[in-house]
Amino acid sequence: MLGFFKRAAPAADACELGRTVVALALPAGSAPPSGCQAVVVGSDGRTRRLQAARRVEARPGETVYGFHPGPYTVDLVPFETAPEIGLRTSFAIDAPDPQASQQRFDLYLAAEVSGRLALAALAAAIEGALRHELATGGLELPPCTTLEEWNAFRQGLNQLLYMRFGVTVDDCVPVDLGESRDYAHELAERAARLAEPRLADAPEHGEPAALGAPAVRFDPAPEDARALRRLFLELPCLMCGLRLAAMPAAQESFQRQQALLQRLDLVSVGVNAMPALELAAPGQPLGQDAQLRRARHSRRACVSLDEAWALLARLRQAGEAALPQLYGEAERIVANLEADCEGRRAVTVAAEGETE
Amino acid sequence: MNRIPESVDCRCPLADGSVLTLSASRRPRAGRAEVKCLVPGDVRLAERMQQVLRLARLTEAGFDSRDQVVLSLDRRPPEGERGWELAAVLADRTVRGLLRPQATPVANGWSDAWERGRVDGNTLGTTAAGGALLGGAGGLPHLGLLSGHADPSAAVSTARAWFPLHSGDAGSLAWVEVSVHPLAGHGGQETLEEEQTIAAPDQDAARQLAVRQVLAGARHYDGRALGRWRSVVRFGAEAFAGRSWELALVMADRLARGREFVPRGRLIASGCSGAWHAGRVDEVDGLAPKCALLLREAGPGDRILLPRAWQEGLPEGYTEQLRAQGASVACVERIGII
Repeated sequence: MLGFFKRAAPAADACELGRTVVALALPAGSAPPSGCQAVVVGSDGRTRRLQAARRVEARPGETVYGFHPGPYTVDLVPFETAPEIGLRTSFAIDAPDPQASQQRFDLYLAAEVSGRLALAALAAAIEGALRHELATGGLELPPCTTLEEWNAFRQGLNQLLYMRFGVTVDDCVPVDLGESRDYAHELAERAARLAEPRLADAPEHGEPAALGAPAVRFDPAPEDARALRRLFLELPCLMCGLRLAAMPAAQESFQRQQALLQRLDLVSVGVNAMPALELAAPGQPLGQDAQLRRARHSRRACVSLDEAWALLARLRQAGEAALPQLYGEAERIVANLEADCEGRRAVTVAAEGETE
Repeated sequence: MNRIPESVDCRCPLADGSVLTLSASRRPRAGRAEVKCLVPGDVRLAERMQQVLRLARLTEAGFDSRDQVVLSLDRRPPEGERGWELAAVLADRTVRGLLRPQATPVANGWSDAWERGRVDGNTLGTTAAGGALLGGAGGLPHLGLLSGHADPSAAVSTARAWFPLHSGDAGSLAWVEVSVHPLAGHGGQETLEEEQTIAAPDQDAARQLAVRQVLAGARHYDGRALGRWRSVVRFGAEAFAGRSWELALVMADRLARGREFVPRGRLIASGCSGAWHAGRVDEVDGLAPKCALLLREAGPGDRILLPRAWQEGLPEGYTEQLRAQGASVACVERIGII
């Protein structure tokens, strides 16, 4: 039967697009829901937009995402220890920037989303990025914020969310979350939870093995694959962004920028030639604990990647005077990236065998 | 600018009365491990030390892989002694510039959960330790409290704020700490006065009354604070007079109750009010000596709050100088956002 006259079926779950789901993989042959745009993500991470498509057409190996441009409104809690004060933020995925060769949101979809991007997941990621920037001092939101400080924070936040996720902030206001979150109640629950295991098993003194037990199971293979995909796709775009962000006028700054780009280039090449997680050498399997160590390194490399995007956002709005400090920060991030990629490649931990 | 020291000494008084000295130094990493520990004649203890430092580093926001920290003990501590752990963590942070360098920090404390930043106790017990920083309840229960932050995993929320003291030329920062416990719902006794739920142990009656009135007034202004908390207020060891601690107390209370943006470093405030129920901040004395003191003391991430009336009186270029040190200052008329 020829499929020409078949009606394009709407994707399941598609009516949630624009409400609780931001983006969704569409099955081949279905129509993008109304008001949504479609992005085709190839298996190699290349993306293209489907313009005004009546029906989703994908080549083998490609995934088609439909996303609703929004606007979405979420409540972000910028500080973990201050749950009753939040930022009501509304953001949207803007019309494509004609100057960019690849939209940042498309890259986000290709690198970090598999199948479905729920609004809650995106909000949690945004909140994590915001908290990390506040903790490291990239953004400032001090108590009794003055108007100038608030404006500076807003600009930084807009730039951060655009560089990191490709979303545009429409509005962001501080709100009292007291009606939805009761800190006193949360503390009382925490006290009850802390009291329970104490009775069951008394804590053993000086038993370090029990300390490192993670609360959530860390499965090395998928974590590592996800992290390496991010590194593979995002590093070239980061370098491109760093080239475009600022053309330093001072000779010294220029040399630092060139050195950074060169080091990033080497890291990128190294990522493309990363050995398989489970092999120590061709045909030689690697032990479970060593695999775990490798996966931890690749996940930490992704933390550096996040920091690099945030730094790029700061570079975009920085003047020439702030460049030396920001390049210093960039050198730290690149050094961390290099160290973690080296750790990911290594078969064994570097021995402590130094004689000095 | 504050320079980060290349090496730091930290002392740890032990239960048997002797003092252990830890030395930390920082050098380029050059492909080595990020932490190296040395204990004379005890390799296993050195491994344990490295593990403590690695766990404690998990609570830090940023990471710099370019440095190696070498930490050594001057001798082997007695078997089973764990009081050196806190001193090791402090030395590791100071030598990397995450803590303000002091003359020689003295600390004793151990923990089973360094990865959460918790400090469970110390090995000195009740023996007097003049000026030493002691781990555990009543001393330092959480590493974040060094900059006034609440422990995100504890069931009691505790926050600190600092206020400047001046006496002649010399001066120092004193702290005030507010711990809030959730108030269990009293079925019939809904009429519990807010002032009765606030305690300030070890203070005289006049100050207890002042603390209660200030906090109750500021909580009235907050609107969503009454009848929910049981609070304990503690002050540092310094003796002081006057009322300029009030703003610090109010801000520490707001931080502890989770209703204020959290500064990256310490919150340092000076101010009082005749009308806390309206959230107003009034002027206090000692502008010039306090400003000079704050300039000496302020470190990266610190937030300084001063009364609005001081705005015009600040020295020339004061804000910029503080900003160069990484701190920020605001002259506020009212507490709360903007």
